[in-house]
Amino acid sequence: MVRRFVVKRLLIALLQLVGISIVVFFMIRLLPADPVARLVGFNASEEAVQQATESLGLHYSSGQQLLNYVGIFSVVDEPGIINGYLGKSWVTSEPILHEVTRFLPITLEMITYALILAFIIALPLGMSSATRPGGAADKFTFVWGLFAGSQPEFWWGILFVFIFFFALQQAGLPHAPAPLGRLDPLLEAPNSITGFILIDSLLRGRLDIFFNAAHHLMLPVLTLVFVVSGPIVKMIRQNMIRVIRSDYILYARSAGLPPRKIAFYALRAAMAPAMTLTAIIYGFLLGGAVPVELIYSIGGIGEYSIRSIISFDYPAIQGTVLVIAMVSLIIYLALDIVHAMLDPRITF
Amino acid sequence: MTENINNKKDIEGLIMEAEDVTVRFPLIDSPDVYAVKNFNISIKPGEFVGLMGEPGCGKSTAAMSLLGLVRPPGVFESGSVKYMGKDLLQMDDEEVRSIRGKDIGMITQNPRYSLHPMLRVGDQISNVYRAHNKVRSKEAWSHAVEMLKLVGINDPERRVKAYAHELSSGMAQRVLIAMALSSSPKLLLADEPTSGLDVTIQAQFLDQMWDACRQTNSAVLLVTQDLGIVANYCDRVLIMYEGQIVEDSDVFTFFKSPKHEYSKRILQLQREAQEAGEVVMTSVDQQSDPLMKVNSLIKEFPIRGSKSRVHAVDNATFELRSGECLGLVGESGSGKTTIGRCVLRLEQPTSGEIIFRDERLDTLSLKEFQEKRSNLQIVFQDPLDSLNPRWTVEQVLKEPLDLHTKMTEQEKMSRISELLNLVGLETSMRQALPREMSAGRQQRTSIARAIASNPDFIVLDEPTSALTPETTAEIIRLLMDLSSSLGISYLFISHDLTTIKYICHRVVVLYLGQIVEVGTKEQVFNNPQHPYSRALLAAHLFPDTSDRRVDRDVRESLEGEIPSPVTENLPQGCYLYGRCSHQLEECKDMKQHLTKMDDGRFVGCWRVSEGAL
Repeated sequence: MVRRFVVKRLLIALLQLVGISIVVFFMIRLLPADPVARLVGFNASEEAVQQATESLGLHYSSGQQLLNYVGIFSVVDEPGIINGYLGKSWVTSEPILHEVTRFLPITLEMITYALILAFIIALPLGMSSATRPGGAADKFTFVWGLFAGSQPEFWWGILFVFIFFFALQQAGLPHAPAPLGRLDPLLEAPNSITGFILIDSLLRGRLDIFFNAAHHLMLPVLTLVFVVSGPIVKMIRQNMIRVIRSDYILYARSAGLPPRKIAFYALRAAMAPAMTLTAIIYGFLLGGAVPVELIYSIGGIGEYSIRSIISFDYPAIQGTVLVIAMVSLIIYLALDIVHAMLDPRITF
Repeated sequence: MTENINNKKDIEGLIMEAEDVTVRFPLIDSPDVYAVKNFNISIKPGEFVGLMGEPGCGKSTAAMSLLGLVRPPGVFESGSVKYMGKDLLQMDDEEVRSIRGKDIGMITQNPRYSLHPMLRVGDQISNVYRAHNKVRSKEAWSHAVEMLKLVGINDPERRVKAYAHELSSGMAQRVLIAMALSSSPKLLLADEPTSGLDVTIQAQFLDQMWDACRQTNSAVLLVTQDLGIVANYCDRVLIMYEGQIVEDSDVFTFFKSPKHEYSKRILQLQREAQEAGEVVMTSVDQQSDPLMKVNSLIKEFPIRGSKSRVHAVDNATFELRSGECLGLVGESGSGKTTIGRCVLRLEQPTSGEIIFRDERLDTLSLKEFQEKRSNLQIVFQDPLDSLNPRWTVEQVLKEPLDLHTKMTEQEKMSRISELLNLVGLETSMRQALPREMSAGRQQRTSIARAIASNPDFIVLDEPTSALTPETTAEIIRLLMDLSSSLGISYLFISHDLTTIKYICHRVVVLYLGQIVEVGTKEQVFNNPQHPYSRALLAAHLFPDTSDRRVDRDVRESLEGEIPSPVTENLPQGCYLYGRCSHQLEECKDMKQHLTKMDDGRFVGCWRVSEGAL
């Protein structure tokens, strides 16, 4: 049953990806932009322009360009997406897949830590504010949710840099590193295994890199946690309140179950919807963490996509969108499976 | 026994004594609510006590408070709840926990909501058992299987692994009973435990509770709104009104001479409804040509993603004469609603004939049938759901006139006034929206809409099930008046034998999509023949203490559950095989057919037609 569901979902995901790539392909070409001029400069000779246009394949009709891109009835001697080839960046001439696999893990690492941390913080906070509505924990989360949600994350990012880097440094206290990348300039990232720098450095036995990277990741992750935890806490609190007042918890109490068991009953029921929300936020942050990436010069996929858009790097934009869409679809699928394992009422 | 119990001075040996209990629900924007105020109760071992009261009078909160529990955010304001002389409200958490679920068991309303939706019922039963007994999880699990077997669940090894949503409400109720009884409590609190159950299942369950109570000398506090249950099972009746006990008498005294206003009112209502039914109905010439004939009607529903089908209606044949009210009675899954829908082509029959005034309805195209609709109407169970929430009464009633007549605007308006008058709605109601009216008025609007196009025939699909007893009596009277003044025939679908008894000329008894008995009201109600009809009538609890079910020598009853009407679940021969107390080995493989008896009725049981029963 589960296998059939997964296969079905993967097939649907494939269709969605095809749809997304076609839409993105044409939308980019609707932009009032001239990538050739951007590439060769405004004062280039006509031949140079002509040559550039041909080398980018832009002299073909849009339909033919799409076929070239996909790799069916292609008239250029380059493979297409069908062969798992996303094309070459017009700016760096590097294969898109290379670039994406370099930048994507950086973002994934940051938001994964942020969401795991957010969930770990949100769970007890949400539970305790649900068990004592109006209590200290409840008031704290209310104020926090209001406060954190009231300003955009880049503003919090700048504020955090100001406080934890600049102000603390001025005061001569231990402080966060300058927001200038993932590592100190003198250190070099270890060769990629998973792409997650903390994990790679541990695997390669470089504890110095590990601690340095952790130090650098601290502020961007904290910024995201700060902004993102509010809604998760609220969700858990809301669910817990509903569960605590439910008939089955009342019944469990009337049957004399020990408090530990009752807490387990409640948590079991309140978890599933909170996890859904977390995954949705994850999907959103994949492309939505750009401001935080930029502030801390992390150099993730968000920053890369912005760069590609600004330089009209069509293949790079297409590739990024496709890969981000793919990752989100996989995350949603994984989440649905986990959700179904948690809640027996969901059938495939 | 009754005298003994009523001796209130005999405080010795009380199992439960609550005094002066007050429960407060703090509200944020309005004054606090006191659901229970200075509540006193005392219960003895072996006693079966009924606690009655109107909705919202605090009876559920009161029952819960006997466990020392309130639903959040409620709090105990004062009082003591003494179990065996020890006050639950003064004990520490651990001590009171050891009493809950062990010495005092609880069965709640909405059994499916009282079970955790994401845990197997076996785990839930084991958890309760392990909370009070030092056993390994494996032993607790096998104990759970045993308990399920004990409360009459078929195939307990499979059911113990089920989740709440996979159980019927009858089965979920049994799981709760299994949980409540697993540590053999001395006091069982049952809060409307049978609401939502079919009558035969209700009887099984209450019998079981009664027997457990008498055999183990444990006490039962039964919270209910049903006078029938109280009359048939309880030793003593407590009436609760606005958070307090206002009457405490033994069951016979209560029915003979109620003291409190509320008790008098509900008993009076009950009597009025009974009298309304005794108004002589216009008689029907049973020799006349039938208005409607249904021959061998079959309706099956395919199940998505599976080869099996649901047999909703299996070979139903019956006739209806002009001016007659024919009752279709049955429990859930009996196919009564499907028959009503097939007759009106709201569902397309799988096979069979539907003949109305000598014309086949089932072969007409839907377009052709559209013209017949003015003559064949329906009234649904939930009046609010079946009226457009944004239409006024006038708009609702104008629609059938627009569709089926060529009246001028003015004629339509006067017809609407006439209709309102017919169903007893004030003219001021013309511009009212459905939700602004009471349920009774909504149902009157629904009836007015049905009669607007002057139909000869109306399907009444549980028209009174969503109404209070008082409104039910009024609607029944209205329907009878309309039938005799306008000559309308009814197909009256209901699971409620009391209303059927009041209004119908003849009764069709259905079980699992098959007709098991057809006869006049007197034949079926006074002397049911088919074993299912017998059990159904015996299980129906009439609010009358002169023939209490618990005092009968033989309690006609059915075993087990109604099987689900899916192809492979259906019995080979007689559909009642396995549940019937009169079954023989032959019944297992012998298909049953309706046979005409000497007194003119039809019965689908070979033993009855051979005169063996």
